Amino acid sequence: MTELQAEQALEVPHEAKTRRNRDAVIALAVFVVLALLPAVFSSKLLLDFVIRCAAYGLFATSLNLLVGYTGLISFGHGMFFGLGAYGFGLMMQKTGVPVPVAFVATLAITLVVALVIGAICVRLKEIYFAFVTLAFQMLIHSTILSWVSLTGGDQGLRGGIPRPPFLGIDLSNQLHLYVASCALLVIGLFLMHRIAQSPFGYTLRMIRDNATRASFIGIDVWRAKLTIFVLAALFASTGGIIMALFVSGAYPEFAYWTISGEGIFINMLGGVTTFLGPMVGTVLLLILNDTVTRLTDYHGLVLGIVILFFAIGLRKGLMDFVVEWYAQRRNGARERG
Amino acid sequence: MLEIRSLSKSFGGVKATDNVTLDFADGSLTAVIGPNGAGKSTFFNLITGALKPDAGQILLNGLDLAGRTPPEIVRHGIGRAFQVASIFPSLTVQETMLAAVCADQRKAGLLHRRFPLAETRDRAEHAMELLGLASKRNRTAATLSHGDQKLLDIALALVLDPKVLLLDEPTAGMGTEERWRMIEKVRELWETQKITVVFIEHDMDIVFKIAPEIVVLCYGRILATGKPDAIRRNEAVIEAYLGTEHHAGITV
Amino acid sequence: MDLDALTGCLASSACLVTQTTSGFIIGMLLFLVAVGLTLIFGVLKVVNFSHGAFYMFGAYFAMTAYQFSGSFALAMLCGAAGTAILGLIFERVFMSRVYGADVLMQLLVCYAFVLIFDDVVRMIWGPEFKSMGMPAAFQVAPLFIAGGVVPPYYLLLIGVALVAAMILGLGLARTRIGKVIRAAAHNPGMVSALGINTGLIYGGVFALGGMLAGLAGALAAPVRSLTPGMGFSVLIESFIVTVIGGMGSILGALIGALLIGMIRSFGSLGFPLFTEGLMYLFMVIVLVSRPTGLFGKEVA
Repeated sequence: MTELQAEQALEVPHEAKTRRNRDAVIALAVFVVLALLPAVFSSKLLLDFVIRCAAYGLFATSLNLLVGYTGLISFGHGMFFGLGAYGFGLMMQKTGVPVPVAFVATLAITLVVALVIGAICVRLKEIYFAFVTLAFQMLIHSTILSWVSLTGGDQGLRGGIPRPPFLGIDLSNQLHLYVASCALLVIGLFLMHRIAQSPFGYTLRMIRDNATRASFIGIDVWRAKLTIFVLAALFASTGGIIMALFVSGAYPEFAYWTISGEGIFINMLGGVTTFLGPMVGTVLLLILNDTVTRLTDYHGLVLGIVILFFAIGLRKGLMDFVVEWYAQRRNGARERG
Repeated sequence: MLEIRSLSKSFGGVKATDNVTLDFADGSLTAVIGPNGAGKSTFFNLITGALKPDAGQILLNGLDLAGRTPPEIVRHGIGRAFQVASIFPSLTVQETMLAAVCADQRKAGLLHRRFPLAETRDRAEHAMELLGLASKRNRTAATLSHGDQKLLDIALALVLDPKVLLLDEPTAGMGTEERWRMIEKVRELWETQKITVVFIEHDMDIVFKIAPEIVVLCYGRILATGKPDAIRRNEAVIEAYLGTEHHAGITV
Repeated sequence: MDLDALTGCLASSACLVTQTTSGFIIGMLLFLVAVGLTLIFGVLKVVNFSHGAFYMFGAYFAMTAYQFSGSFALAMLCGAAGTAILGLIFERVFMSRVYGADVLMQLLVCYAFVLIFDDVVRMIWGPEFKSMGMPAAFQVAPLFIAGGVVPPYYLLLIGVALVAAMILGLGLARTRIGKVIRAAAHNPGMVSALGINTGLIYGGVFALGGMLAGLAGALAAPVRSLTPGMGFSVLIESFIVTVIGGMGSILGALIGALLIGMIRSFGSLGFPLFTEGLMYLFMVIVLVSRPTGLFGKEVA
């Protein structure tokens, strides 16, 4: 990873602070632009699209913390997406607590579940890690299907999720939900970016590159892996909560393995070597899904061919490609100049 | 003072380390030699926690470290470099150093600050200077030459300010000239840093010229310890080394 | 949960026979699919995520062949041979391009083909459920063993699968090709150093794996309904089998498949809604206690 370029590495402390403030300013600006979007385009479809991007984007970016930064290929990350959706939906339906309370409580449940599952999984090696996470995903999916009295089984949580207004925010109003989703997306991305750029983020890179060596400079690899597993689960769960709010329900598909598969695909599509790659991948996949579904019944066929193009043709994600192209151009310019 | 007491480890009946008792005085420079399969690397792996000993003690200034995990042992001051350079291919030299100092300052888990931390800079800089890697600070480790990767591996151990530094064949895979340069570097580090250095080496010329102390391992046991002159005259050592060559000679 | 049904069944020999037979059916079909997966993983170190599609194609090929010819034997042959060719093409044209790339790329290529193959089946055979129907030769009165009902076709299915397993086991242990395949699984570099064409071996192993999965699909066609996407649940279950048995171990695949077959068969009595959950739970327990599976080699 060469994100830390020469000029950045040589900076003095107060400049590091400036950079962080700069990130905060960028995040704020993005949020303002997104929030003002409905004033310019009144298309409901566009707002729906952005809300879905927020849900999947948080999920996919959190998966990249595992896959791209730590080298943990999880096939079951979608379980936390489903857990968020079901946890939040059930909390709202059964207890009637205010939205923020249900939000925090859902994250707390996710934290506990991720701690238990993570403690079992992160000590396993590569392919076994992938499969045990997949097994846990399917275990949760089966539980949702079979616990009909609580979850509604294959029908999902129906009858809508009550969304009582709080602090003047009414999430049953599409516009309010839109702004709230954008806020969650931007805050989530900002926090994840900080994790990626923190000392811990570099610890993760070391583990990905060479876990044995990392342990020989005093890093507790198991603990670091568990920590990022839990953190990533929290962001994925937040994505699930947005999804539950958006569809006003929760369905077993949210916890099915295909969500994890799509997450990995999104990461590949956008590229795992840049922080925003998964976000770009999310937008691409959703656009692709929507157009292909509209144009043809053979949605899988087209999608499959696109994936093949990326996997065999480009052999990297779009953002990886762009970054390399940019680097080459810049080097070329430097040599000429 | 690093004291090894009756350290033993066997793999399915084969005694890779057999009741080894040794002292490494503070600030000493010791070469560990022995024929292939003598248990040199196993010995290092036991001390650094990569393997758990079956029995015995590893006392660092009186504290028993036997059976502890690698991160714990490193934090107590035993650093190591590997036979095949063990580095972080995608990080730059400077990032590697900064991240290692972070780990040493117990800040590898920090989430709320931005990498690199200002307080890690001087030590990282110092280690890069020591090993002559400062000019290559922005190269990713994967793009370094073999020799520089070995230096980076040593820097990674040294930047943690170890009390004892274990080097598993620092000159492995190098040409004659490069070997001497590397071993001079090791000697220089030992002299300037005043730390205990133990290294494994195959080249007898290097060993006898550089190392004030020599330990000879054979089939997991200590065959001899002492100064180069004493080792050179030691009957058992001659037998062990020449013995194998003898046999080879007869079969030809 | 219905534990009474389970204990009731365990007490009755008739029910015991019926459930055990059905457990064997599930297990042997899974074994044929899983053994291909495990061979491909062992030799190529590739996790073939699209392996379920071969099972699906085997079933569809068999159905079509049976409809045209009315011959059951020909249907089986078409199912197995068709998927063998498909496997060879798939490996030579696509998978061989991503051996050098990381695991993620290989998984993506397979994921792409899961999507593509399902749609291809939908295009050719339509999206609705299809049925091959029981061949006339097997439309005879079921056998009664200790009071349990056993359709004769079940016995044939188990028999064919067992014979295939034995041929495979003997072939790998005794023949030259088998030895080369096992050597390739151990050390790919050495095999090419010996002057053996690894491309041929890789393609061959994929064809073999495809053929076994296709045979499983063809055998299942008379007793299961055919639908695009039918390969997927089989794939997931075969994964569980290989992971439980240990990736790369053929004996492990057999034991794992039979265990899963029995869990499914008896679990459906005691835990009708949580049968799948039981399998995943079992897999988690096995992996936590033995991280490389029951017969897996310890990874150093």
